[in-house]
Amino acid sequence: MQRYTFNILFFLAAVALVGLAQFEMLDKYVLTIITFMGINCIFAVSLNLVNGYMGEFSCGHGGFMCVGAYAGSLLSVAFFTDSKLFGPALFPPELAPVLFPLVLLGATLAAALFGLIVALPSFHTRDDYLAIITIAVNYIVISIVENIDAIGGPRGFSGMRKTVNAMSDVASVPWMLIWTILGLFVCVMTIYRLMTSTYGKGISAVRQNEVAAEIMGINTNRVKIMAFMVSSGLAGLAGALYAHVYGYVNAQAFNILKSTEGLVMVYLGGMGSISGVLLAAVAFTLLTELLRFVIPWLDGVLHAVSLLPAGYELSQIWKWVIIPLILVLLMQFRPEGFLGNRELTQVFPWIKRWITFK
Amino acid sequence: MPLLEISGLTQRFGGIQALSNFSFRMEEHELVGLIGPNGAGKTTVFNIVSGFYASTEGEIVFDGRRINGLKPHRVTAMGMARTFQNIRLWNEMTVLDNIRLARYSWLGYGFLDAVLRTARYGRAERAVEVRACEVLEMMGLSECAGELPKNLPYGLQRRVELARALTGNPKLLLLDEPAAGLNSADVEDLIRHIRWIYDEFGISIWMIEHQMKVVMSLCQRLTVINFGSILAEGTPEYIRQHPEVIDAYLGDEKI
Repeated sequence: MQRYTFNILFFLAAVALVGLAQFEMLDKYVLTIITFMGINCIFAVSLNLVNGYMGEFSCGHGGFMCVGAYAGSLLSVAFFTDSKLFGPALFPPELAPVLFPLVLLGATLAAALFGLIVALPSFHTRDDYLAIITIAVNYIVISIVENIDAIGGPRGFSGMRKTVNAMSDVASVPWMLIWTILGLFVCVMTIYRLMTSTYGKGISAVRQNEVAAEIMGINTNRVKIMAFMVSSGLAGLAGALYAHVYGYVNAQAFNILKSTEGLVMVYLGGMGSISGVLLAAVAFTLLTELLRFVIPWLDGVLHAVSLLPAGYELSQIWKWVIIPLILVLLMQFRPEGFLGNRELTQVFPWIKRWITFK
Repeated sequence: MPLLEISGLTQRFGGIQALSNFSFRMEEHELVGLIGPNGAGKTTVFNIVSGFYASTEGEIVFDGRRINGLKPHRVTAMGMARTFQNIRLWNEMTVLDNIRLARYSWLGYGFLDAVLRTARYGRAERAVEVRACEVLEMMGLSECAGELPKNLPYGLQRRVELARALTGNPKLLLLDEPAAGLNSADVEDLIRHIRWIYDEFGISIWMIEHQMKVVMSLCQRLTVINFGSILAEGTPEYIRQHPEVIDAYLGDEKI
C-alpha cells in the first residue's frame, strides 16, 4: 500500500488542482505561476542529473530547453495549424488533445539528440572545460535560432496558441496545466527510477570514483553520454511546455540567465536530491514572483525615507542582484543546499511510514 | 594455454622508462606475487594489464585474446578484476550498492528497461541482488550491507573492496598491496581470506605486496622487478636466497 501512496497523493493533488482551475476557483495569474512552477521543476530536476548525480558542471542547460521549445513549437504548428511555414495542418485540429504528447515527445527527442551531439566531443574533457563548452553551446544555440529567419529569427516564433485553443475547443479544461503535471510526473519518475536502478547508479559511481567505476566494468563514457542525453531531453520537454504555456517563444528567453536560474535551483535544493530540487524550484518560482511586488514596494519605502535619489527607480533588474546574492549566502552558510544529496525521506524518516516511492 | 601471457612489455612516460621488456606467464589456478622496491613499476604493470594505460610496446594475451588497447571495462567483462593500493570504494553509497554495481557488465538491460521497469529489469535486478547477498555472506560482510564504506574500519573497507572484485566471478584477480595499512591481526585475516578465495573459487590471483610475510606464505611463485625490468623469478624459497634480490630489495632482514 505504502508504495502507491506517493502516486495516489500526487494524483489527488493533481486532480484537486485541475478541478480548482476548471471551476475558476483559482486566479488566472496564480494558475500561470503554478504551471511555471511545474516547468521550473522539470528544468531543475533534469539539470540535477548531470550537476548533482553525475557531479559534472553543465552551465548551458537553457540551450537544451531552447532546442526543445523550438522543436515542440514547430511540430505543434506543423501538426495542427495552417501556416505559411508548413502549409496546411497535417492533422485535423480535433486530434490535438490526443496527438499533443507526440509534440512533447518530439521536442524531448530533439533536445536529447542535440545533447548527444554536444556530449560526443565534449566528454573527453571534464570539470572546468565542460562548463566552458556548455556555456559556449548555450550561446551557439541562441545565435543559430536568431539567425534562421524562417522561424522568426530574433522576433521569436508564435502560433502555438492555436494548438492550445484547438485543444480547448475539443474539451474546455486547463490543458496546459494537465500536460505540465503529466510532464513533471514523467520527468520525476524517469529520474527516480533511473537513479534507483543498478544501471543508473553507474552515474553516481562515476561521480564518486571514476577510476573505480571504469575498473568495475562501467563504460564511463557511455554512462556520461546517457545521463547528459536524458538530462537535455527532459530540459527539452520543459521547453516545449513553456512554449505552449506562453504561446510564443524567443531564443533570448533561454539565454545564460535561464541556465543560471537552473543552477540556482539545483544548488539551492541540494545536489543529487530530487525532493530537495523540487522544493527549491517551487521556492525559487515563488521568490521571483514575490520580487515583482517586493521590489516596487521596496522602491516606495526607500524613496519615502529618502535613501534613494528622486530620479532613480529601483527596477526589476534588481532581481538579478538579489537572487545571486542568495546564492552567495547559500554557498557561505549551507553549501550542500536544503537537503544536500539526501532525499526528504532520509532527512525526515517518519515520512517513510506513510510513503515509499516506487 | 596460459591464462595470462605478457611479452616484451615496455612503457615510457615521457623520458622515463617505467617498464622495459617485461615478460610474464601465468597458468590457470596459480597464486603469484609481484614484488620489488618502491617505484620499480609494479603498479604500472597492473595498470597496463587492466587497461588503464595503453602500453608503448609489447603484447598481452588474456584468456586466449589479445587485450592491448582494450578499455578497462572491456577487460573486466572478460573476467579480470582488481583492487587498489589506496582503497577506491564509492563512499556515498551503501556497501550493498558497491557490490551490486560490480555486476554492471552483466546487467543486460538498458535505459528504457530501467525507466519502464520491464520484466527484464526485474529479472536482472533480482539476479544482482542474489549474487550481492551471496558475496556479502561469503565474505562475512552481511552485517554492514547498509553502511557507507567510509564509516567502516579500514580492515573492513579492504574486505569490501575484495568482495566487490569477486562479485563478477573473475578468472584472474589482481590485488595491489592488499595488506597496505593493515595491523597484524588484520593481516592474518587477509591471508586466510585470500587462501580461502583461491581454494574455493579455483581462480588465479596475482598480487603486489610489500609485506614479505604475506607473499612468502601465500604465493607459489614470485617475480621481482627493479627499475622496470625483471630481476629474478622463482619460488619464494629461491627468491629469499637470491643474492641480487637481497641486495636490491630484501636487505639483510631475517625473514
